[in-house]
Amino acid sequence: MTDLLRFLDNAAGNLILVYFLLINTFYFLFNVLSLAGILRYRRMVTFVRFGEIFRMPIVKPVSVIVPTYNEELGVIESVRSLLSLRYPVFEVIVVNDGSTDATLAKLIEAFDLRPSKSVFRKSLETKPVRGIYRSAVQPKLIVVDKVNGKKADAMNAGLNISRYPLFCAVDGDSVLEKDALLKVVRPFLEDPVRTIGAGGIIRLSNGCDIREGQVVRIGIPRNWIARFQILEYLRAFLGGRLGMSMIRSTLIISGAFGIFRKDIAMACGGYRAASITEDLDLCLRMQKHMHEQKKPYRIHFIPDPICWTEAPESLRVLARQRSRWHRGLVETLVRYRRMFLNPRYGVAGMFAMPFYAVFEMAGPFIECLGYALFASHVVLGRVNYPFAVMFFFVAVFYGTFISLLAILLEELSEHRYPRPRDILTLTAAGVVENLFYRQYLAVVRLWAFLEYLRGKNEWGSMEKRGFAKVGQVP
Amino acid sequence: MLPIIVLFSFVYLLLLSASLFLFIFFRRLAIAGREKKDQRVYEGMEEDLLEVLTAPDPRRAAFAFALKHKARPRVLKRILVAYREALAGRALEPLKVIFERTFRWKCLHELKSPWLATRLQNVRLFVDFSRPEEAVHLVRLLHDKPVVRLAALNALTGIASRETLSYIFDLFESDPEPNLYAYSNIFFSLGQRTEPFIRASLGKPLPPEKLGLLVEMGGRLLLRGLYPDIAGFARHADKELRIRTARALGWLHIPSSVKVLTALAADPAWEVQTQAVRSLGSLQDWKTLPLLAKALFSPHWHVRYNAGYGLAAFGLVGILQLQEISRQGEDRFAADMATMVLDTVIITGGA
Repeated sequence: MTDLLRFLDNAAGNLILVYFLLINTFYFLFNVLSLAGILRYRRMVTFVRFGEIFRMPIVKPVSVIVPTYNEELGVIESVRSLLSLRYPVFEVIVVNDGSTDATLAKLIEAFDLRPSKSVFRKSLETKPVRGIYRSAVQPKLIVVDKVNGKKADAMNAGLNISRYPLFCAVDGDSVLEKDALLKVVRPFLEDPVRTIGAGGIIRLSNGCDIREGQVVRIGIPRNWIARFQILEYLRAFLGGRLGMSMIRSTLIISGAFGIFRKDIAMACGGYRAASITEDLDLCLRMQKHMHEQKKPYRIHFIPDPICWTEAPESLRVLARQRSRWHRGLVETLVRYRRMFLNPRYGVAGMFAMPFYAVFEMAGPFIECLGYALFASHVVLGRVNYPFAVMFFFVAVFYGTFISLLAILLEELSEHRYPRPRDILTLTAAGVVENLFYRQYLAVVRLWAFLEYLRGKNEWGSMEKRGFAKVGQVP
Repeated sequence: MLPIIVLFSFVYLLLLSASLFLFIFFRRLAIAGREKKDQRVYEGMEEDLLEVLTAPDPRRAAFAFALKHKARPRVLKRILVAYREALAGRALEPLKVIFERTFRWKCLHELKSPWLATRLQNVRLFVDFSRPEEAVHLVRLLHDKPVVRLAALNALTGIASRETLSYIFDLFESDPEPNLYAYSNIFFSLGQRTEPFIRASLGKPLPPEKLGLLVEMGGRLLLRGLYPDIAGFARHADKELRIRTARALGWLHIPSSVKVLTALAADPAWEVQTQAVRSLGSLQDWKTLPLLAKALFSPHWHVRYNAGYGLAAFGLVGILQLQEISRQGEDRFAADMATMVLDTVIITGGA
């Protein structure tokens, strides 16, 4: 019995070690690929005048769809930012998904909305639409009021109403930079047949000042949880997604800011209404569809069109958000398990899905197993303390190194945090996050997996503070 | 053994992280310093450039400017690109002289670079400052990778002569993977000069998507002389080509096209009917009013939609027809569509 336990103990130890080495090596490789990608992108767009799209006689119009649910604090700024986008032809469709707060009333007041008798083609099934409003002051704006049916359902309602061949999904609490649409649409102009989707980078607006729907001052928030998330987003988007996009294995385009071909999305049946991570679900479904149709396709990640969004600043709300993301990931991977290691689905099936399954879905199990093993060794008095301390520091510095690479990528791409002090703060966050934050998120994700097994399929509410205006302390 | 590996890993990672941090930090300080210096140089250069632009002999002043500032290529390139955006026509001549005296040779050399990004950068720079007789350098790039090909095509559009037009159409006809979107923008920019080339291409056995683009261009550019060529495609087997024919005829506004469009409005494919109804609406021929009113009862949403707006385009008579349909109770879908069109027309009219 003791031998068996010792064997299991050793096996678990080795598994953790191999996992640790593999995950960090992959992240390192993605960062190297991203570095090459950013340098190439910088050279490719030198002397490009994004404004020349305005002079193009024939442009690809875009429908910007914004699902909102209880976003009364940020929705006006967000819609203003969308209406002030630099793009020749676009419409903004705000879908009020049965908000219980004053979201609709604020929209009606701010944009002088009037009920419209628009008739639309119900290509996708959605919860009933209560009314369609058009603005008397902003001809590009359409507001749809519907019965609550979650974000995917709201997106489908927006798709039914939309008129243009490309649609851009934007979260109701997000702010797009003026040129974001011009930049993100570029792959559709350069390779219109193969490009089916493109996404930009999401940055956190916590600590920034927003005026007239635009970020006017960029800063690092005082809240450490938000600081950790800034680094996480940099790692995820600049390190991870750009790296994966370089090897054509983009599995997800963020729902906060992504642009897609409408015909392909419609051919896949739009968003799956029951999904809680509708962005991942749609992206996977579109890829599956293209592979099954044997049509070549591309999904691009572009590092500089920026979407600013608000991150949770309390552990409770953060846990809810991450729990939903993890449950959604597990649910989507399970749903599309047929693609898993199936050569028919190309890199998506052979690499991206297994990577997400092993390192994102199963990751929390292995991490938590490590913590449990360490705790049991402490209780049994079997800890080799010098080794444990050394290993801990190796883990911390490997994590810090990856975070520093993400900061370097940020410096090379957009260089948005203006003060040298910001680099110091972000580096400090990269060290400190290893002490509690990462462990906390591992436990949250493990818990989310168990909740998924128990059949939980809720969104969980996210408390919003609204964007910080100029002169207001965020 | 394992503890020693871990120890070495720790020391290695510590040093690596520390050096990366120092690199990022000092790079930032160095860039901030360089930007400050560049800004100072830029301001000085800008003053000189403004003097060049307002000089009595701008060409000679441009020579002197190029000689004085060619040692600072980074800032010089920046200022040239910035002023290229702001100037047009003859005012660009001094900038072209400066470019020829400073970057032209290097730019031409780098157009042959094995690196895609370098070629692309230089095509774009070349676009701004090249002269029509230099088109030959760009023509060589028309068989490069798609993104470079596109940039070269755009550049050629800016300095189009009869010869370059023929290069562009030859490439379009032989392009195995044409970016139709880009070609349509290029043809549109070239304008009515394209008529003989489009006519010649329409007579060739090209794939339907290429023919479709040419047909649509004929309509968009209002090349009425191409009407017989375009109308001939109304009976083509390819649905997409019939749609484009219907669209082009709507733009051309030729009264005799009503017959062709009426036939297309009865096409078996609803997508063709949709486009034909839309084009009939834009022609505003009184004889087509009953046809449009009938199309408002089509089982297809898009046909109803276009028929509704087609009727509205007739003005008062169409509006009265729409009102009548909106009041009837036999077909709720037709009534709803008529109501929506009336609603939109009234809002727009009010605005």
